Amino acid sequence: MVKFLSEEWIDIGKKYMLEKLDPVKDLKSITTSLLGVVEHIPPDDITMNFYLELEDGKLKDFIVNTGDTFDEKNAAYEIRGNYGTYKSVLKGEMSLGIAVLKNRLKVKGSKMQALRLIKPLDGVIVSLQKITDEFE
Amino acid sequence: MCLENVLLNKNLKFEEAINIAKKGTHCGMCRIDFLETGLCSAGKKNGFIAYWPQGRMEIVNALNSGKVKPTKKLFEIVESCTFCGICDKQCNFTTQLRPQKVHEALKEYVQNLDQSEFQEIAEDDKLKKLQEIVGEKWATNDPIIIASYRRNIVNPDKELNFYAVMPENSKELSEVIKFANKNNLQYMARGGGTLFAMVSSTVMKNAMGLEDGIIIDLLRMKKLEINPEDLTATVGAGITAFELQKEAYKHGLRANVAEAGAHICANLASTGICTTWGNTYGWASDNYTDVELVDEEGNIFNHGEMEIKNPYSVEHGLTSLKLSPPGILTEAMVKLHPIFEGEEAVLVPFDNLKDALQLALKLAKQDIGLSLAVLSRKYLAEFLSPTPQIAKDFDYIAENYMKLNYVVDVICHKNDKKIVEDMVDFTIDKEMMKTLILGCPKLASLKGSEFLKILSEEENPCKAIFAGPMRNHLEKGLEANPENISKIYDEDLRDFFKKIYSKPQMTDVVWLHAFRIFPSRLMRQRMFIPRGGVMWATEKIITDFHDMLKETGEKYNLENALGYISFLEHGKFAVLEYDYYFDHTDPSISKNVNDAVIESLERTLMMDGIISDLHFYFKGLHRKEHILYPIPKAINDEEQILFRELIGSVLGGE
Repeated sequence: MVKFLSEEWIDIGKKYMLEKLDPVKDLKSITTSLLGVVEHIPPDDITMNFYLELEDGKLKDFIVNTGDTFDEKNAAYEIRGNYGTYKSVLKGEMSLGIAVLKNRLKVKGSKMQALRLIKPLDGVIVSLQKITDEFE
Repeated sequence: MCLENVLLNKNLKFEEAINIAKKGTHCGMCRIDFLETGLCSAGKKNGFIAYWPQGRMEIVNALNSGKVKPTKKLFEIVESCTFCGICDKQCNFTTQLRPQKVHEALKEYVQNLDQSEFQEIAEDDKLKKLQEIVGEKWATNDPIIIASYRRNIVNPDKELNFYAVMPENSKELSEVIKFANKNNLQYMARGGGTLFAMVSSTVMKNAMGLEDGIIIDLLRMKKLEINPEDLTATVGAGITAFELQKEAYKHGLRANVAEAGAHICANLASTGICTTWGNTYGWASDNYTDVELVDEEGNIFNHGEMEIKNPYSVEHGLTSLKLSPPGILTEAMVKLHPIFEGEEAVLVPFDNLKDALQLALKLAKQDIGLSLAVLSRKYLAEFLSPTPQIAKDFDYIAENYMKLNYVVDVICHKNDKKIVEDMVDFTIDKEMMKTLILGCPKLASLKGSEFLKILSEEENPCKAIFAGPMRNHLEKGLEANPENISKIYDEDLRDFFKKIYSKPQMTDVVWLHAFRIFPSRLMRQRMFIPRGGVMWATEKIITDFHDMLKETGEKYNLENALGYISFLEHGKFAVLEYDYYFDHTDPSISKNVNDAVIESLERTLMMDGIISDLHFYFKGLHRKEHILYPIPKAINDEEQILFRELIGSVLGGE
């Protein structure tokens, strides 16, 4: 059982992406970074974030933190939403695109560029969907 | 005993009930008192859609499909109906359906149920908390009540694990949202539910419906105050267009409203109240002086506050699609407009769009007409005709005998009427419209008659019939009176409809444009999906856009027609609605509808000067100038590829 936003989630996520995703085929050689801010995490209603960085389609960094900012790195995009929304995306119940357009996830940075990333990021989302099987 | 079993026993009563229920389209007309019959007492008392005629029909659909099992609440819902017959009158005027037959069948079904067949509802702590916020009566997770929200906020394919709440005020709503956030529940507010009803049979249902969580039904927010001293009205989220207009008219004032059943606040937040009165009354933020919203953190705020970020600007371009408003609109201070003495209606018929458009553009640019639009033959036929068959025959006669394919439809001051009359050869006046409204069943029956054949041989049949020697024959021949039109209704309803059509407003074209009780007839027993946009008003852009939408509809074998073309900003911009009609009970048609929606959207984006309807959805609170300018350019090849990827991801297209 791997719990969303746990240290184990980061470790297994890293391993999975490095082993299973082809930088060119699956991640279209993208170079980008994003900060996912997760609000209203139960049971104590806290905020956490995860920083994910890709360089030429290879995973460079994947870090989880408490709070709504991550001062060590400047992410190109920030995607902010509540825990329930992230859960729906990671359970495959809602696509990232719909979550953004429904304003369930709010994008800081160019929305045009962020939506361009949705397809290349499919691989990352699917990886996280596969490894995450515990919430709350 | 489930409904399917009843059907297997070939119980005709249930079969008929299920057929009626399937044809229901959630037009919402059973929730407004537009015929002065009073309202459904069960719905008025209990609020949730399940207690209204449209909800009971949806419950039958859900039971029939096995989507839900009976609960004890079903018994209560059935018992709440007094069989007063109001719904039959209201629904028959709009759709020709008889919802009471559905209720009778549902009652019989419930009475034959064994106690063991009722589904037990487990205790739920979250529900208890929601009930603490809004009151025990106004929060539920009962699947029978939830089932009634299918196709009008809930995607019909989803499981029914939702809560439904009906807050009474913004404070309660704020608490509900804070609770939802803390418990990671999604939520979505519902006004009239018609917009989702229209998309629920299409590819857009996943993008626009609520996936799980809390249905927030705003019907209890019934604040309505007319402020004649500053020509505004304070309108709560539960107030419909009809209710506002009725109150405004008492003060000699008029609101800019959409179809009668639309909720003012929801309509404002979604499409900005886009009407044929837009050239004079405006669009989007033109419609209000202030609004109160509850944001996603549960904060209550007003647009008038100094501290908030500019709420009127919007994103532009391909990715500016939005599928939700910037908060839940709970109250709006809307503008009202004076009604002038001697307002007139004048219609100018045309056989082709080009000529109709040229006249309409000329009028729009000169600010002539309070309401101004080009209407299609289809709209005219559907609005005026009391049954689908009469509409079909009326449409055929207008096209084949009268060469009446478009009308320029003007509601104006009497002085402007003279200007219009001076610009054209002849017009259809208010009296003739009254004749057509009351006489359309007789006119429809003349299909194939010698009279119409002779008429069709005239050089200009419209002129001959509306302003020439044949006008008298038509007026006499149609025998247009309330008694005759009432004959098309079921025998038990004839006396009622005779009285209804005797009321002056039922044939008063100005009143009908203001109260808009006819447009719901577009949703009678079948569905339509509107396509369109706002565009820079040149003849070429408008006609190219119209032709593209027509071509796309034809390509996918959908019944299609122009709805209307109206104007904004002294005729600088045009609004065009083009409709694809389909049978929502036929799943085989949905692929064609979806393909037509996606292709028409893509082709719209590839045209200069047009903002697609999907690109102004949920931007109704913004300033129209921010939406309209800069005038959009066609997307480039790279953006077209991105669009296809985006649409695939968002709408599930190919």
